[in-house]
Amino acid sequence: MSRDLSRLLEHPAIWRGRSAARTRTLPTGFPALDEGLPGGGWPHSGLIEILPTCFGAGELSLLLPALATVTRRPEARWCAWVAPPLQPFAPALAGCGVALERVLVVQAKGKDAGEKSALWAFEQTLRCGVCDIALAWLRSALPRQIRRLHLAAERGATLGVLFRPRQAARDSSPAALRVAVEPAARGVRVTLLKSRGGARGIIELSLR
Amino acid sequence: MRHRRALELPFKESTIVPAPQQAPAPRSGDLLRPVAGRADAAGRAPAELWLAVHLTASPSPPQQDLERLGARAQRLTPRVSLDPPDGLLLEVKGSLHLFGGVQGLSREMAGECSRLQMPCTLALAPTSLAALALARAGRADSGGERPRTTRGPGAPPPRMASGTASSEEALSGRPPLSSLIITDPAQLVGKLSPLPLATLRWPQDTLDRLARIGVRTVGEVLRLPRAGFARRFGTAQLQTLDRLVGRASDLKDRFEVRARFRRRRELIHELESHAALLAVLQPLLEELGEFLTARQCGVLTLECRLWHRAVPPTRCVLRLAAPLADPAQLAALLGERLSALVLPEPVRACELRSGPLASRVLASGRLWQPGEHGGGAAAQAPELIERLRARLGPEAVHGLRLVEDHRPEAAWKRREPKVITSAIQSGLQNDPGRNAVNPSLEARGSPSWRSASGQDHFASRSEVDNPGLFHRRPLWLLSVPRLLNERDGLPRRRGPLRLLGEAERIETGWWDGGEVARDYYTAVDVRGARLWVFREREPPHRWFLHGVFG
Repeated sequence: MSRDLSRLLEHPAIWRGRSAARTRTLPTGFPALDEGLPGGGWPHSGLIEILPTCFGAGELSLLLPALATVTRRPEARWCAWVAPPLQPFAPALAGCGVALERVLVVQAKGKDAGEKSALWAFEQTLRCGVCDIALAWLRSALPRQIRRLHLAAERGATLGVLFRPRQAARDSSPAALRVAVEPAARGVRVTLLKSRGGARGIIELSLR
Repeated sequence: MRHRRALELPFKESTIVPAPQQAPAPRSGDLLRPVAGRADAAGRAPAELWLAVHLTASPSPPQQDLERLGARAQRLTPRVSLDPPDGLLLEVKGSLHLFGGVQGLSREMAGECSRLQMPCTLALAPTSLAALALARAGRADSGGERPRTTRGPGAPPPRMASGTASSEEALSGRPPLSSLIITDPAQLVGKLSPLPLATLRWPQDTLDRLARIGVRTVGEVLRLPRAGFARRFGTAQLQTLDRLVGRASDLKDRFEVRARFRRRRELIHELESHAALLAVLQPLLEELGEFLTARQCGVLTLECRLWHRAVPPTRCVLRLAAPLADPAQLAALLGERLSALVLPEPVRACELRSGPLASRVLASGRLWQPGEHGGGAAAQAPELIERLRARLGPEAVHGLRLVEDHRPEAAWKRREPKVITSAIQSGLQNDPGRNAVNPSLEARGSPSWRSASGQDHFASRSEVDNPGLFHRRPLWLLSVPRLLNERDGLPRRRGPLRLLGEAERIETGWWDGGEVARDYYTAVDVRGARLWVFREREPPHRWFLHGVFG
């Protein structure tokens, strides 16, 4: 009886506080981080936020092992980079094991419309279901916009990763997971600001 | 069907000239004498079944409209022939079962006519001429009823019934009456007999001479002796009769539509609003959609020209990642482009031109919606790229590839994104419980990772040869190196930069004019971000920021 009940409660739609309801996840490649995250990895779909203290704090390195795994699966879909602040450097990505033929770069440039175009392109990318992961860099995003992005990501079975400045941590956000990243001596210090059913706290990771 | 036709050619030649031995007896020598024709040989199943469309509008529609109807009719059968000025012939034997038999197919054709607002009569017969004659007769008989059939002022619905049918029945869009359908070759002559000779469209003086000897219907002329008929009225008319009853084969030119689409529309008012422009372009796009569907093709480039009063026309070119034929999708993409367009003057006319047609592979629809269990992703990939490009510009979406070069700015290139094939996608039905493979095992250090292009493969080889090199490359690159301030010979960026490790010297490119001589360092700024900086080897030894490790 209790076994049936526990199986029933494993349904991904049921969220029981900290007792992780089992969801599909993607290992991060860092065992220490996997332990802290709900389900043992990045969620398979939905929107997560990464808030680095400054650009280049190690936020992208945190995702690289997962990107490499996902893009090299035989059934891989696109890995989209929406409005990257600089040019993604292909040799470094290839060196980390990312399959370049699955990488799609979407530049959203424009004077004032750049941010708006980036938001639009990110939503399209998440919604259409042809991407495994979509990364986006937005300076400002309202909670209702993030909510919309989250729903789009769930519909497209895509993991949306939104990079925002650290200051955005003060605002509320409907994202499933919020992670702050700051540089540490030998790698990065990851702070789990919000994680449904996961642990809280600070995790030190060695990147190199 | 083709080879059967070819086999009949000798037979056809023998009947062109009425041989005397074919009319030995006075009574049996008439035009109806059974010859070993296909109708008799094939028994009750005709080798061909022709659907004739007779456009009843007066005056006859222009050739352009007839071609348009022909293009639409190609949806029903590949064998469509035009019979200007007002006739269209479709060989439908092969496609009857696809459209629900004679009734269903006629309904489809009548629907096409009514969509183009072309009133018509339809008839089916085993020979094309018989079908045309029947269709013309259907109109000729119904002269008295015409006022009742025009219900709307602009769009009279197709008339498909002969005069005996009530106009209500004709209006309801039903297929032709049974008197206009002949599927059995044995009944062909019997049903054609009461038709007036005018339906054959012979020269007026021939008709007059026939009328003078008391011959007014098809049945009466068929009873005349062959030899005498040929002598008095010419062999051409005799051949017509042979083709009418199926004793001679009737070769028709197949209607081929033009291979590029180009339509222009003059506007009644000058337009400035983008939304109004798109609404004006909509019928042109729908026409383009029909044009492409009939050929099972799509367009890769589509040009929209907007003409103004004084300045040269504005051009708006849409480039697509995969051949596309759906007017709704094309309209959405064009709308994105138009909304970004700045019009120098109001628009007086617009024109749509397609690029060369590309064959389009049609795929079956998917059971799952995109994203649902990961299904349906493959077909959507080009759509996403097109949608993004339509709004952000063609350069905005690209893939990456490696170039074998030591200079960082030359070590990669943009490339056209490779559209995922459905073969790759077929394995996407993941079970929800399965987790991905541990990346620490697969992502790092495994030398045999797959790559499609040779250059990627090359790069992966060199990665294996010296793994340390690639780990010292930053994930982000500045397209143009940024000059850094310096103090005491050391670079600064929001404070002093701390240099880590040894320098890596890149000194190459003297052969193509892009010579570089730099010492690269990894540096850490005051906030802890790792940067990739270099110092020029040549004086004045300036410092530049070239990348961020991320």
